[in-house]
Amino acid sequence: MPLGDERSSLQSQFLAVRKFATASATAAENGIDDIPLPSNKPALQRFILESALPMATSLLLVGVATIGLLLTDRLFPANLVPIVYLIPVIIAATRWGTWPAVVAAITATTAADFFFFPPFYSFRLDDPQAAIDLLLFLLVALVSGDLASRLRRETETLRQREQEFHDLHEFSRRLAACFTVSDLIGAIQSYLSGAFGRHTAFFITASDKTFRPDPAGDIPAGVQDGAASMMRKAGLDASTIRDEATGNLWLLRAVSSEESTYGVIAVNIGSDSQALIDQRTHRIEAMLAEASLTLQRLNIGGAVEQAGLRLKDQLLSDAFHGNLSHELRSPVAAIRGSASVLQSMPEIRNEDQAHLLVEGITDEVERLDSFIGNLLNATRVSASGIRPHLECADPRDIVNAAIRQRSRQLAAHDVKTEFADDLPMINVDSALVEEACGQLLENAAKYSPPGSTISVTTRAERGQVIVSISDSGAGITAEERQQLGRRSFRGERYQATVPGSGLGFWIASTFIKANDGSIDIASEGEGCGTTASITLPAAVIEDEWLGSNDE
Amino acid sequence: MSKPTNLVLLIDDEPKIRRFLRAGFELHGGFTVLEAEDAAEGLRAATFNAPDLIILDLALPDRRGTEVLDLIRSWSNVPIIVLSVEANEEEKVRLLEAGADDYVVKPFGIAELIARSQAALRRYFKSPNENPVVVAGPLSIDLVNRTVLLNNNQIKLTRKQYRLLHVLATHVGLVVTHDQLLEEIWSGSVRKNIQYLRILVRDLRQIIEPDPNHPRLLITESGVGYRLQSRLEDVTLG
Repeated sequence: MPLGDERSSLQSQFLAVRKFATASATAAENGIDDIPLPSNKPALQRFILESALPMATSLLLVGVATIGLLLTDRLFPANLVPIVYLIPVIIAATRWGTWPAVVAAITATTAADFFFFPPFYSFRLDDPQAAIDLLLFLLVALVSGDLASRLRRETETLRQREQEFHDLHEFSRRLAACFTVSDLIGAIQSYLSGAFGRHTAFFITASDKTFRPDPAGDIPAGVQDGAASMMRKAGLDASTIRDEATGNLWLLRAVSSEESTYGVIAVNIGSDSQALIDQRTHRIEAMLAEASLTLQRLNIGGAVEQAGLRLKDQLLSDAFHGNLSHELRSPVAAIRGSASVLQSMPEIRNEDQAHLLVEGITDEVERLDSFIGNLLNATRVSASGIRPHLECADPRDIVNAAIRQRSRQLAAHDVKTEFADDLPMINVDSALVEEACGQLLENAAKYSPPGSTISVTTRAERGQVIVSISDSGAGITAEERQQLGRRSFRGERYQATVPGSGLGFWIASTFIKANDGSIDIASEGEGCGTTASITLPAAVIEDEWLGSNDE
Repeated sequence: MSKPTNLVLLIDDEPKIRRFLRAGFELHGGFTVLEAEDAAEGLRAATFNAPDLIILDLALPDRRGTEVLDLIRSWSNVPIIVLSVEANEEEKVRLLEAGADDYVVKPFGIAELIARSQAALRRYFKSPNENPVVVAGPLSIDLVNRTVLLNNNQIKLTRKQYRLLHVLATHVGLVVTHDQLLEEIWSGSVRKNIQYLRILVRDLRQIIEPDPNHPRLLITESGVGYRLQSRLEDVTLG
């Protein structure tokens, strides 16, 4: 019977009914689940294990069904025969797939003809009705076999999809937690070997374009050389290398975006016959393309940078959380305190020059202290992550405290504050939001001319409280705007170009994010000033006690 | 009011810090200074010299400052002002709950510490039959008659608003924690919520502050509590 047509008509039916299911079944057929594991077993052994054994078992099942039917021949009516023969077909389909099921169906039809349709013990059929019955049985057996095997594949594909999503989620979580570049390589490697189920390696491009050898060290030298040369040459993004020692073929593919190459994935595709290699190469190419898309999407470049930054911060933070913070702040406290005593002495107060000098000491030491504070904040952010201590707060208090805290930096500017009358409370970590406001105020002062106005308006809008800090300074150009999106992600690089500790905006945005808020930077363009807006969710106030204060 | 000269005990292991504290306290008059460079010496001095005020640094070489605080508090009510480098809110609240009268975060100016010290001493030496009127800038709060004057005009407050002002006035110049305020104002009420307090403060500010958007009398100590200034705070807006 024309099996191909049968299958394709079935497929179109499926297509019509369940597009997704068919698509995933096709994906399964295309080999995510049947890429053989790398093994040194001879081809014959593999053939027996993967094809011959299921076929033989299917035949055996049909035999068992036949014997059963022969033994109980007298007990059951003859029309039960086709139903009993369906059992081995369905079993074969659900356990081993389409082909064993087809074999079982054909064998069952033949056996039924031979044993149970007159004349018995002959393949001949006298009754045309019997011939039609048998053909119908074959048709039903093939269709149900195909359906059952399809169902099996579908379940498997779904399970696999689920696993893939799980792996991907796990992967992105691991990426975010990587402290060192070698952690990162480890995460990518384990993701890749999870996806390919074979020997893989990921080589990361260092920021200086030099090649980092594989840390595990079990990648052949030739492959490492190939990866290194791929990193140097831009535009070369795929190649194949044969390892002379083992005869294994390695597939190399660059993971890159428009700007840079993040790294090279190497996959061992083994050393089988050319046809098998070609087939496998084809499949792995497709998966590699998908994997490199995933890596691009997860922004490996950013992750590498972040991991480096985290490592640096970790070292810094260890130092700080040991004694450095105390060691740095104690002398600062002694200087600041001594200067304040000097300032209050009549001898100094009445002597203009001395007074100014002492004031200078105070100012500078306060600046030094705020710098140390910034470093401490930065290490706090990256070392343990921030755990905000949320508490209901009045936004007015936070804005006022931020302005008071930065009064020295804002001394040359005219700070105007405006609060809406209907400001709700916000549920935040006041200290973090205050620090973020302070950082933005400091930036506003830094990038606008002395004497100009910095206006701070606080208003409520659709369940949110928005604090906007506007200056009339340098503003932001179109190109800078484009970079801005990246800035918050790789704040470090951006901050390196502005004077100061360079951590301000990064700290501000991290602190605000930790409070479920966001910072938005807007500017009309160069020289037109900048407005930084902090948006925070308003606290939900229970109405029932609102009146209770007015008793 | 406080005695003519108060004995202040400085417990800090940094000689440079002790030096400027001594200079500051002596310069501002009314203080005799005693120094201790570690917890053991500090505890001995606190026992035998009966200081009127203790300035306690939290980072001492031989013992944690919080332990020293606990030990002193176990037998004495002497005002204690804590010095600390960590500006952590939970730590501050813990210290205040453990009995510290106030805290100052390093680095600080001497004027700030003297102001806190004087507020703590005033509260410590206040005798019950003394004038029960607390003055805070344009406000004067009569704690016995429960009347409040603002610029010499009597103002009307709700019961809870008065209660809040009363508690702050008995600690004028010193910080009072959220928990303490909630406890005092909503005593007996099962549900304690800081939102109550925030809104009560906002309402009270509308009445007593010259500019409620920029409070200069009823000051928020972020994450810790509130402080009623004894005079209008200078607002530095650049």
